Amino acid sequence: MSATSDDDRANEVLTHAEWAAALADGELLGQRCSDCGHETAAPKAACARCGSRSLETVSLPTEGVVYSETTVAVAPAGFEGGYRVAVIDLGEARVLARLEGDAGIGDSVEFVGPLEDGEEPAPLFA
Amino acid sequence: MTDVRVVGVGMTDFGVHEQPLPELFADAAFEAFDDAGVEGADVDAFYLGNAMGGQTERDTHLAPTLATHIGIAGVPCQRYEDACATSSNAFKHAVRAVEAGDHDVVLVGGVERCTPVTGLDTPEMTSVFASAAHRQYEQPTGLTFPGVFGLLTTRHMHEYGTTEEDLAAVAVKNHRHGTLNPRAQFGKEISVDDVLEGPVVASPFRLMDCCPFSDGAAAVVVTSDELAETFDGEPVGVSGIGHATDVIPLADKADLTATRSARDAASEAYEAAGIGPDELDVVEVHDCFTGAEVLAIEALDLVEDGEGGRAAVEGTTALEGRIPVNPSGGLKAKGHPIGATGVAQLVELTEQLRGDAGRRQVEGAERALAHNLGGDAATTVVTILEGMA
Ligand SMILES: [Zn+2]
Repeated sequence: MSATSDDDRANEVLTHAEWAAALADGELLGQRCSDCGHETAAPKAACARCGSRSLETVSLPTEGVVYSETTVAVAPAGFEGGYRVAVIDLGEARVLARLEGDAGIGDSVEFVGPLEDGEEPAPLFA
Repeated sequence: MTDVRVVGVGMTDFGVHEQPLPELFADAAFEAFDDAGVEGADVDAFYLGNAMGGQTERDTHLAPTLATHIGIAGVPCQRYEDACATSSNAFKHAVRAVEAGDHDVVLVGGVERCTPVTGLDTPEMTSVFASAAHRQYEQPTGLTFPGVFGLLTTRHMHEYGTTEEDLAAVAVKNHRHGTLNPRAQFGKEISVDDVLEGPVVASPFRLMDCCPFSDGAAAVVVTSDELAETFDGEPVGVSGIGHATDVIPLADKADLTATRSARDAASEAYEAAGIGPDELDVVEVHDCFTGAEVLAIEALDLVEDGEGGRAAVEGTTALEGRIPVNPSGGLKAKGHPIGATGVAQLVELTEQLRGDAGRRQVEGAERALAHNLGGDAATTVVTILEGMA
């Protein structure tokens, strides 16, 4: 059992619809696990590291560092090739995002809002 | 517990096949039946791998359809889908069923058609492949499958200094092996310059860093050690299987270069077989991209972490090297009909352990390992086979 009482433990649900709506408003939401501290930018029903359902919705940092990147030349149907996709390290959480500009691994980048290209929202960093 | 044997193997050439799925699958299945010396009436279950038939061919509930086509209607049939690890997962469950005494003689197979010639065009097929990525948190970025491995490999290059030339050497090696395999899609040698001059698909990968779209089928017959003696096919033992998963989406992975599921599956398989990586004679790994082979040989502990990039350059993983990797040509040169790939690796290794691999034979091979990875390494199945001679 955790030392904290049940009342102190977060049991917040963050749906994809809520995450997408916040993204459209220029805010990147994520979750922090109350039990192990793991943070994610991809909301789930339970923590991906420890399975805990005690999750807290958090506003993620808007500044991060490129952790890895790829330039996609051959794109899926509905996309025009030649764009960059990157894993951005936000400190505790990492997020998969579209990346504008020529930042490489280790370079600082900033969250600039939702990607407007596709039918569904994705974070855009530059 | 019952020990399990592979007693029959068969596969089609990989490449372009105009036949519908049932006809394509029958070619592999009957080759396996004939190799084993079994008739359809001897088979008491069917385990099928087909990853994308619903998306690519508008064809689902395939297992009973294929079973009927090859004359084994009525037996329990099940179909597996785990992206590229589809048919090795089918194999695992077939082996478990024989071990448990549920079934005595089981057909395991995989079939898929992915070429633009026989199916969807490249953008559509790129979408279908990308559908193994997270629907909400990865697909909207436009991430493709080459892009997934591009992210993992770019990080490896950053951490360990792996170069584009190192990656190209994997393609050169596997193409060379492919020239020795009459069933391979590509039968021509290529040079490092050929790879480096190709168009980018998803950086750091150029066209020849990537496996092709392929059509094909593969099948094996498995049975108990006791019954194996009653069949014609020279038996090969299944000495260990490991199967593990990792988180999706990939941004949540603790380590992008570890392919954690492969490490976990390998540990389980090595322990079950009671051997270590040093005791292997031949290995087939899931080289959907050149960088994937680099990550795989590190995850399997064939080389130290960070040294995977140099292995092909230095000849360590060549047919005549310290540990031959992908003598079949791998996915890179042999081809990659998704749902058939896992079983096709086992077909290759069975032939190697029987000494039947012709010009690509690894001399005296006694222990072999297959590494079949699905999605962004979110699934890996590792299978260890051993010769009985
Ligand atoms: Zn947790």
